Amino acid sequence: MSASTGAAASWRERGTGASVLVAGISSAFGVLILTGVGYLTAIISADPTVGDVRAVRYTLSILGTVILGVSVFVAAVVTANTFATIVAGRTRQIALMRLIGSSARTERRRVAGRGLAVGAVGAAAGLVAGIGLSYVLVAVLRGYLSPEAVSGVTYRVLQPSLLLPAGVVVLTTWAAAWVGSRRVLTVTPLQALASSTDRTTADVRHPVRTVISFVAIGIGAALLAAGIVVGLADPGGMVVAFSGGVVSFTGIVVGSVVLMPPVLRLTGRAFGSGVTARMAAQNALRYPERSARMTIGVVIGVTLVTLLAVASESTKAVLASASGGTLDPALDEAMNVTSAIMMSLVGVSAVIAAVGLVDLLTIGIVQRRRELGLLRSLGLSRPQANRMVLLEATHVAFTAVVVGVLLGIGYGWAAAQSMLGSVVGANVEEGHTLVLPAVPWLTVAVIAAAAAVLTLAAAAVPSRLATRVSPVEALAAT
Amino acid sequence: MYEGRYSRAMCRGCAVPSVETMTTDPFDLDHDRAPLAARVDGLFKTYGSGDGVVHALDGVSIGIRRGELTAIMGPSGSGKSTLMHIMAGLDRPTSGRAWLADTEITTLDDLALTELRRRRIGFVFQAFNLVPTLDALDNIRLPFELDGRRPTAEEAERIEAIIESLGLGERLRHRPHQLSGGQQQRVAIARALATQPDLVFADEPTGNLDSRSGREVLALLAAAVRDRGQTIAMVTHDPVAASHADRVVFLADGRIAADKPRQSAEQIAAHMLAADQVAA
Repeated sequence: MSASTGAAASWRERGTGASVLVAGISSAFGVLILTGVGYLTAIISADPTVGDVRAVRYTLSILGTVILGVSVFVAAVVTANTFATIVAGRTRQIALMRLIGSSARTERRRVAGRGLAVGAVGAAAGLVAGIGLSYVLVAVLRGYLSPEAVSGVTYRVLQPSLLLPAGVVVLTTWAAAWVGSRRVLTVTPLQALASSTDRTTADVRHPVRTVISFVAIGIGAALLAAGIVVGLADPGGMVVAFSGGVVSFTGIVVGSVVLMPPVLRLTGRAFGSGVTARMAAQNALRYPERSARMTIGVVIGVTLVTLLAVASESTKAVLASASGGTLDPALDEAMNVTSAIMMSLVGVSAVIAAVGLVDLLTIGIVQRRRELGLLRSLGLSRPQANRMVLLEATHVAFTAVVVGVLLGIGYGWAAAQSMLGSVVGANVEEGHTLVLPAVPWLTVAVIAAAAAVLTLAAAAVPSRLATRVSPVEALAAT
Repeated sequence: MYEGRYSRAMCRGCAVPSVETMTTDPFDLDHDRAPLAARVDGLFKTYGSGDGVVHALDGVSIGIRRGELTAIMGPSGSGKSTLMHIMAGLDRPTSGRAWLADTEITTLDDLALTELRRRRIGFVFQAFNLVPTLDALDNIRLPFELDGRRPTAEEAERIEAIIESLGLGERLRHRPHQLSGGQQQRVAIARALATQPDLVFADEPTGNLDSRSGREVLALLAAAVRDRGQTIAMVTHDPVAASHADRVVFLADGRIAADKPRQSAEQIAAHMLAADQVAA
């Protein structure tokens, strides 16, 4: 029937824009990383003093792939979550299609097909933007590096390989939409008829996932501890600790649907016992799975940024004390630049997660229009509605950021300790060094400021919608 | 011009309204002289413009008498919901005035109207009455909580009595999705009665219920009027529901078509049929 008009309407649906943006950022980021790695390799190849060019290229490529992989993963989680949320809000419409005779598979394919379209549009836009930014990147690097290093190096930005990240983004967006549309299969035609009351705080259990998550966290923690112990004697402890970090953090991400809701419940209590505060805190828990996925992306990004900052700062502190109090200014500068670049690279995944978080909070509140209408008619004033929405956004955003910062400090310390435990320095205890986790407060302050901006952004659209809800209109809508 | 005529209406806006207890004069049984809980004068409500203009309300003036269950009836599009929405401070008329007791509500700003709804009006809707994240007791206390306060000792006692009389004692810690439709509706009634408002506005309160739960809800509303002197205005198109009312007002095409004392369901149905034939 009117598949084309349906498709046209779907572009205006809330959530589509954010998914396009997420796909676009991932694809542009991938193009930039390829350009960066390619250009640096070209410069190093031209430098006769560097011996093993292949090893350098290999290292840079691995690093770039890991960073890009993390952000593509976060983007996929965000997209899957967005599609799952859209499906939840369209239950009735899907049920109606099922009632008329459409099969569940057709309906799911329709949703997933939109994922493919969203991925294609986003990836194409990202590719164009990424190529444009690549020229800027090369120009900036050229200006930053010494003239001798750059001279004689010619680099062509436009390369066929730049299509690769765009292709990956299209496929992951499609796959994420497919995963996110799983719930379409559970919609029954009867749901079109029944005046079904909203299911809230669904108790979802994930026995297998919980076990995998806890086992991974356990093994990872043991490896981390082992790495730290080994690190007291040998810097190779870093390798052990690194694997422990990867395993345990994967466990945390896999188990986020089990781990995050209790944390959200805990932070929700901090808002006090007023009814608007309690309702705001409860809102994050009515779809625990959705909230968990919404927060875990931000947790991943913030953890990685904090980890890098803490590790770099701790390392600088240890090296300073080992070399008698002050760090060599050139080394200090080099470490600062390196960690700043790395932090901004992993920060991209935090930005992607933030886009998803803002979008999902907005959709969540739009889908609760009727409830807001009820509350307004019962005497919830506009300022109260505003406060409720703001508290809800604060709750989710700050929980994610605080968890990320705490995890980042822990991992960053473990990294520094395992790497530097054997360095003889000022804090010597029987020949070992105890690294104190040096927390770079500037970075934490920047993260906190970003969280505040994120919260306000996440609250802006919903609170405008919430205060404009006319009780009559909202109550009349079914 | 109305001040003299309606001077017997209590000034509930002057005191903290929810603390005040309702007094019914046992000798004041003459409904024509009963004070008014709410009234409207010359209400017009139009939607759209030009050829597409719709007159939802076309000059409606009526008073809701205190301590009565008034049924507002009429087919879809007759303006009954619009009328009740304006009386309950949920919507604004295109022209005309509305009062709740002695307070003119058509001049109030959004915040004042919100507080008025919170403190002096109770709501029972057809469906989706309760906040899904709050349990039954928190839903009942919601109007007080929104006011930023706990119920006073006297109010707490009243709430207790209401919960008791509605048989909700064992369900207080249940969330709405754990309650049946009838139970949800009883929680909504408890919430509406808790503040002892000037007016309880019930919009098709039985529309979503099976007939047994529906009868229960109607009996509870009638009992609130009888035992507590509560004023209730109920929008319905069900003759059986309307037969529980002390007074039945019929709307058609945005005007009041008839205003009758207590009627049997058969009389109401007969009136509706006759009106339908006139229209056809």
